[in-house]
Amino acid sequence: MSNRLSGPERRETILSAAQGLFARKGFHGVSIDEIARAVNVSPAILYRHFDSKQALYEAVLEKFSGQRQSYVDTIVNHGTRFEDALAGMTQVYIKNIAQNPDILRIELHSLLEGNPATHAFFQNRWKSFTDYIEFGLNEYLPYDLPDREKIILSAGLMFQGMVREVLIQKCLQPQDRLIDLSLHELSHELVNLFLHSIGINKTQLSRKATISD
Amino acid sequence: MSDFDSELDASGLNCPLPILRAKKAIAAMDAGQTLKIIATDPGSVKDFEAFCKQTGNTLKSSGEEDGKFVFMIEKAA
Repeated sequence: MSNRLSGPERRETILSAAQGLFARKGFHGVSIDEIARAVNVSPAILYRHFDSKQALYEAVLEKFSGQRQSYVDTIVNHGTRFEDALAGMTQVYIKNIAQNPDILRIELHSLLEGNPATHAFFQNRWKSFTDYIEFGLNEYLPYDLPDREKIILSAGLMFQGMVREVLIQKCLQPQDRLIDLSLHELSHELVNLFLHSIGINKTQLSRKATISD
Repeated sequence: MSDFDSELDASGLNCPLPILRAKKAIAAMDAGQTLKIIATDPGSVKDFEAFCKQTGNTLKSSGEEDGKFVFMIEKAA
């Protein structure tokens, strides 16, 4: 590799190599020396761009958050019906991961490693869904429903687990038995199952479950 | 005299809820009126820029106050 890269180019090269290594081996499985070797620079040069392995790791996450697809299009173009917006958001999210499965690999490593920075980062990404579902159900479910709060919290968790699992099965470990279903089709079916399971069907939703102030 | 007509506190909420609630609040307002939105999600800065670009409403200001993000949006005619 040429040593004549500009500062920003060098930084990008390091980030991209670090992303791949962290995704394959997790935070603790990679050393600064290994990342430096991957981009043919000395650790001293790497430290000129990033103070520590943790800083480099956080910069990788920062890059992901810059690439986060916004849900603004979904809300502006799909109307405000609960099910339409939820389906639209899900498509945006899975497309983003399908394009860059390293995000999911790093998330799974971080679950085992317990790195506080990543924990907060990924929790925040899922919060878009769990917040949305909590607000939607708060509007929709009858106020006198027993265990209302528990149902609302569990529904958010159910959705998160469902979407994360389909991404694992389709993006990380392609399964033969799911080969005929695209990621798009699968997530569409799952969103429908989810809506059904929380006791609402599409016609009811269209009439009742929009989110208001 | 206040410089806005309605206020929406979306503190603690992640995208797309602040956008969704702003969209609803704006729908209930008259053209030329201003909505003040308070949010805590750092992503909301970009989101409200995109929202205004797409809806034609005017983002009169976008700033940070006491660690919160404050937006003023004027409804388009």
